[in-house]
Amino acid sequence: MKDLNASLGTMEPTTACSEFGIAQVGAMIGGLIHRWRPLSIVLTNLREFDIHQRETARATPFHPALAQQLTEIASIAIQRTRSEDALKKSERFFAQAQRLSSTGSFCWHVATNEITWSEELYRIFEFDRAARVTLQQIATRVHPEDAPLVQTMFDRARCDGIDLDYEHRLQMPDRSVKYLRVVANGTRDQDGRLEYIGAVQDVTQRRLSEEALNTLRSELAHVARVTSLSALTASIAHEVNQPLLGITMNASTCLRILTADPPNLELARETMGRAIRDCQRASDVISRLRALFAKKRCTTELVDLSEATREVIALLNSELQRRGAMLHLDLVDDLPPVKGDRVQLQQVILNLLLNAAEAMTTIDDRPRQLTIRTVRDGRERVRLSVQDAGVGLEPQDVDRLFDAFYTTKSSGMGIGLSVSRSIIECHDGLLWAEANKGPGATFSFSLPRAPESTPRDGHSSSSGKPALTERAVGHS
Amino acid sequence: MMVAVSLISLVDDDQSVRESLPGLLMQLGYVVRAFAAADEFLASDAVEQTRCLILDVAISGMSGPELQQELLHRGVRIPIIFITAQSNETLRARLLAQGAVDFLVKPFSDTILLEALDKALRES
Repeated sequence: MKDLNASLGTMEPTTACSEFGIAQVGAMIGGLIHRWRPLSIVLTNLREFDIHQRETARATPFHPALAQQLTEIASIAIQRTRSEDALKKSERFFAQAQRLSSTGSFCWHVATNEITWSEELYRIFEFDRAARVTLQQIATRVHPEDAPLVQTMFDRARCDGIDLDYEHRLQMPDRSVKYLRVVANGTRDQDGRLEYIGAVQDVTQRRLSEEALNTLRSELAHVARVTSLSALTASIAHEVNQPLLGITMNASTCLRILTADPPNLELARETMGRAIRDCQRASDVISRLRALFAKKRCTTELVDLSEATREVIALLNSELQRRGAMLHLDLVDDLPPVKGDRVQLQQVILNLLLNAAEAMTTIDDRPRQLTIRTVRDGRERVRLSVQDAGVGLEPQDVDRLFDAFYTTKSSGMGIGLSVSRSIIECHDGLLWAEANKGPGATFSFSLPRAPESTPRDGHSSSSGKPALTERAVGHS
Repeated sequence: MMVAVSLISLVDDDQSVRESLPGLLMQLGYVVRAFAAADEFLASDAVEQTRCLILDVAISGMSGPELQQELLHRGVRIPIIFITAQSNETLRARLLAQGAVDFLVKPFSDTILLEALDKALRES
C-alpha cells in the first residue's frame, strides 16, 4: 500500500478513469472471478487496470480476497483521482482569480522565517518560481524609499503580531515601479507560534489612474484659479499700486531732502526706510500671487485655515471693498491644522468669498455683510464658513450648485464651486451650502484635523507615496 | 491764519500713502493733515481750513465720490484732487464733470502731483 500511495502521488488525471465508476470496476472484477478463471492481476499504473492471466488455474479462496482488495484499491484510486481533479480545478480557479485580481497570497512562519508564496506572488515580484523565497530576497525588490516602512512593518509584526495593512512600492530590476497593498493577519498556532497569512495586491494600475486623475484635477483647479485671477486683476493692481506710490513719493522726497543745503540726513534715512518697506510690501503681494496662481503639483503640508484665510483676504480685500462688501473676520487663532494642499484650499476660500461678494452686488436695502468664520467642528474636524447677505439660494439651484458648468451668473464658467467641492472631497472633507435664516446664504466646508503626530509627514496618496494604516491585533 | 491758507488734507485708507505723500508735501513747505476715513475728515476742523483735498476714490466706509457729494451738499467748496489705484475712465469723466481738479492714477510722479496741486491752489 505504501508503494501504491507513492505512485498515486504522481498520477495524472484521466477522464477515462474518473468517468469509470467504482461500482463498474467492482462488477468487472467480480465477473472475472465468477468465471472461475484463475487470475493474477497486476496493477501497472492507476490510469488503467491491466489484468493479465498468466496461466490457467483453478480459483482458490485467494482470488475473491484479491478481487476484494483490488476493488478497494481501485475505489480509493478513483476517489483520489476525483478529489485531485476537483483540487486541480479549484487550484486553477484560484490561480485564475489571483491572476485576474493581481492578488497573491502568502504564509509566513515568523519563528522559522519559512515563507510560502502563491504563483501570482512570484509573478508580481518577478521571481523565479523554482527559487525559495526569503525575506532577504523580498528586500531586494522593495523600493529604497519604502525600505524603512517595510522594515518597520516586519519588525512590528515580529514583536507585536499586529495585523498588517500597508502599501509600499517595489522597484523592479528594469527600474519600473509597482505599488503593492499588503494585508496580513497575524495568528498563533496551537503552540503559540506566530504565523501570518496574507494577501498582496498589485495596485499599480489603480495608483497610476489616481495619479492621472490628480494631475487632471490640479490642472482643472489651475484653470479655475486663472479664471478667478481675472476677477482679481483690479484688486491686484490696487495692492501693488499703493506701495508703488509710496516708493515714488518717498524717493522723490528723499531727493529733495538731499539737494537741500544742508541736507537733513536723518530725515532722508527715515524716508528711504519707508521706501524700502513699501518695496517689501509690493514684493509680498507678488509672492502671494505667485504662490496662488503658479501651476504646480498638488502638495501636502500642515495648513492653518485661519492663517490661509488671512493670506487670501490680503489679496482680496480691495476687491471686496470695491464691491461694497463689509467684511467681518471671525477667525480662531489656535485652530488645529489640517493636512492638505495650501494653494488649493486657498482657492476654495477665494472662490467662496468672490461668490459671496458677487451675490451681494445687487443688494442695496441692507448692509452687504460678509462674514468668514473658522471654528473647531467637534474634536476631530475644523470648519470654515462664508456667510453673505446676498440674493440667497433658490431651492432649484441648491442641488445643482456644485455641478460643473452650472451657473446663475452672467459671467463665469460655472466651474468654481464644482472644482471647490472636488478639492474639498480630495481632502476627505465636505462642502455644502445652506440658506440663512435671514437673507443670504452660507457656504461651509469641514475638514478632518491633521493627526497630532504625523511620523511619516509628507507621505500622501496624492504625492504618489504609500499610505500606512495599521490595526492592533487581538490573539484569540 | 497761515495754517488755514496752506493746509492740504489727504484722505486715504492706505498707511504707506498717508506717510509718503505728506512727507513730500511737507518737504515743499506745505502743511498737511492726513485722514484714514472720510468721516474722520468731516468730523475734524480741517474741513474749513483745507485749501486742497487729495482724496482717494476707494476708501472704506464713505467713498471718495460720496465725500465729494457730501461736501457739495454742505456747501463746502474745496478743490479736490482724486487719487486712485484703479484707472477708470468713466469715473474720471464723471468726477471731473462734478468739479474735481484732477484724477490721478497711482503710482504718479511728484511732478504730476505738484502740477495738479498748483492748479488746485490757483482755483481756491
